[in-house]
Amino acid sequence: MDVVLQQFINGVTVGGFYALIALGYTMVYGVLKLINFAHGDLCILAAFIGLSVLTSGIGGANAGALLLAAAFIVAAVAIGIAGAVLEFTAYRPLRKAHRLSAVVSALGASMLIENGIMLIWSPEVKVFPSNLLPDISWKMGTASISFVQVMIILGSLILMAGLYFYVHHTRFGTAIRASAIDQDAARLMGINVNRVIASVFVLGPALGAVGGLFVGLYYREAYFNMGWIYGLNAFIAAIIGGIGNIPGAMLGGLLLGLFNAFAAGYVSSSWQEAITFALLIAILLVRPTGILGERVAEKI
Amino acid sequence: MVASRRTPWVALRRAVGPLLWLLGLLVPILLNGSWISIMAIFAIYAMVALSQDIVLGRAGMYDMGHAVYFGVGAYVTAILNTQFGWPIFVTWPVAIVAAALIGALLSAPIVKLRGDYLLVATIGFNIIFVLALGNNVANLTGGPDGIFGVGVPHLFGWALSSQGTLFYLDWLALAAVLLLMRNLERSRIGRVFRYLKEDELAATTLGVNARNYKILAFAIGAGIAGAAGTLFAVQLASVSPGSFVFTESVTLFAIVLVGGQASIPGVLLGTALMFVVPQVFRGLAQYRYFAFGIAMIVVMVLRPQGIWPRGRAR
Repeated sequence: MDVVLQQFINGVTVGGFYALIALGYTMVYGVLKLINFAHGDLCILAAFIGLSVLTSGIGGANAGALLLAAAFIVAAVAIGIAGAVLEFTAYRPLRKAHRLSAVVSALGASMLIENGIMLIWSPEVKVFPSNLLPDISWKMGTASISFVQVMIILGSLILMAGLYFYVHHTRFGTAIRASAIDQDAARLMGINVNRVIASVFVLGPALGAVGGLFVGLYYREAYFNMGWIYGLNAFIAAIIGGIGNIPGAMLGGLLLGLFNAFAAGYVSSSWQEAITFALLIAILLVRPTGILGERVAEKI
Repeated sequence: MVASRRTPWVALRRAVGPLLWLLGLLVPILLNGSWISIMAIFAIYAMVALSQDIVLGRAGMYDMGHAVYFGVGAYVTAILNTQFGWPIFVTWPVAIVAAALIGALLSAPIVKLRGDYLLVATIGFNIIFVLALGNNVANLTGGPDGIFGVGVPHLFGWALSSQGTLFYLDWLALAAVLLLMRNLERSRIGRVFRYLKEDELAATTLGVNARNYKILAFAIGAGIAGAAGTLFAVQLASVSPGSFVFTESVTLFAIVLVGGQASIPGVLLGTALMFVVPQVFRGLAQYRYFAFGIAMIVVMVLRPQGIWPRGRAR
């Protein structure tokens, strides 16, 4: 029983950052029908930026919590700006072009960011020092939950609740949802669709940045090309929940995290990615629109 | 009148391709060893890129796992040659058929998926494939290190062991693929592919069995990629999972889009940009993919149809 509880805790933790990263994919896909292949790399870039802030030594030895907060804020702001720049330079000019042109542009952006990280921070694995976070854990029977897990679970829950409230209970959130359903109709209703798209490219990467820094703090390492695999996993989470659907991405992230945690116990780790992708293909075949259904209108 | 004025110009334009190919025959005579192997690799990847173009540019299916079929061909040749002692030229047709069959089998359940979902499913296949190779499936694939010691091809008792002769083999195979592409373009199958890409609904109402033709596109594309895989295994005398990873599929995907969908000169140009140009700037190797990333964005923004898009249908 305690083993199950432990796996559950681990699964929810991993699911938390998958969900945060998945939100960026799903929001962009919702309004633009574009798989933003650069999103995973943006999130991992956040881990590097966060690490640089945390190890900068600013504020001296007692800065602790403040420095941690600063790392998250700097990473989120920087990645939010990077997302907006990316949208403006690489995607906006291709809004009217064949959709694969934007996909290649996204792939190019992904390569650019990944190798930019390599050139700035070197190709080696960056280890997050163990003294960045308090080394506390709480016992629950034989299962335990560590400080970093509590931080990730609470942090992702708060951010997701905030985003849900923003998208469903504010005027601008309504505009985002309207633009996802029908851009032309939204434009006719006086919604500035360009602003909606730009905001989605700030919000999504900013949330993903927090997710990416969580990844780094949880596994205590970051390397330049890890964006692909975390990005793909988060993207799978978005598809599981139903791509284009914001609550779906949250649900998909948690489900994928739990799936990984429980599958890992029964399958050798060298096959773990394979079962994730097998699950993905199975879901695509059985229910391509995901659990919560796709809120994307099909064009004929 | 107009036709007679244009004819010499058109004839000249059509002669450029074959002339360039003939010029390529001089590569082993004029250039040094490293350039011969670069051009051999170019010929091999050009075949793979053209086969990717059949699925992506001609039949319009977002296949982002094409390295799988390239890998199947390479591994079939490597396994049959090193473990069972088959001559390379005997493994070649087996590699082609195996790749085509796997292409058909893998695509059969997923061709019904539209656009992006197909893309994601093929990424999944690619990642599972590379994991399977790395995990040494059935003790045949050699794990993460792959298989070493692939032999040289023999033709009528004559070993094609020098770089020059291998280059001629690759260059001839490229010519065969180019002829096949030209014939495909003019054939019924090629027209059906284009029709499916442009308007699947209209094609099906005219009696085209979309599913079968889509699987056929995958099978043809996979078969050609498998043929190139054999040549790749021979060229490097070894195979390893790293050559067939998902990022290779991304590169192939990008070659077709950057060069120009369904455009033979475009795809060849794209291949040259991705595989030959970096060799010129080898000193700057660490900036290679950084520059590629920028180049991909810039090309797409300036020329969304690709550098050398397909001309008007003749």
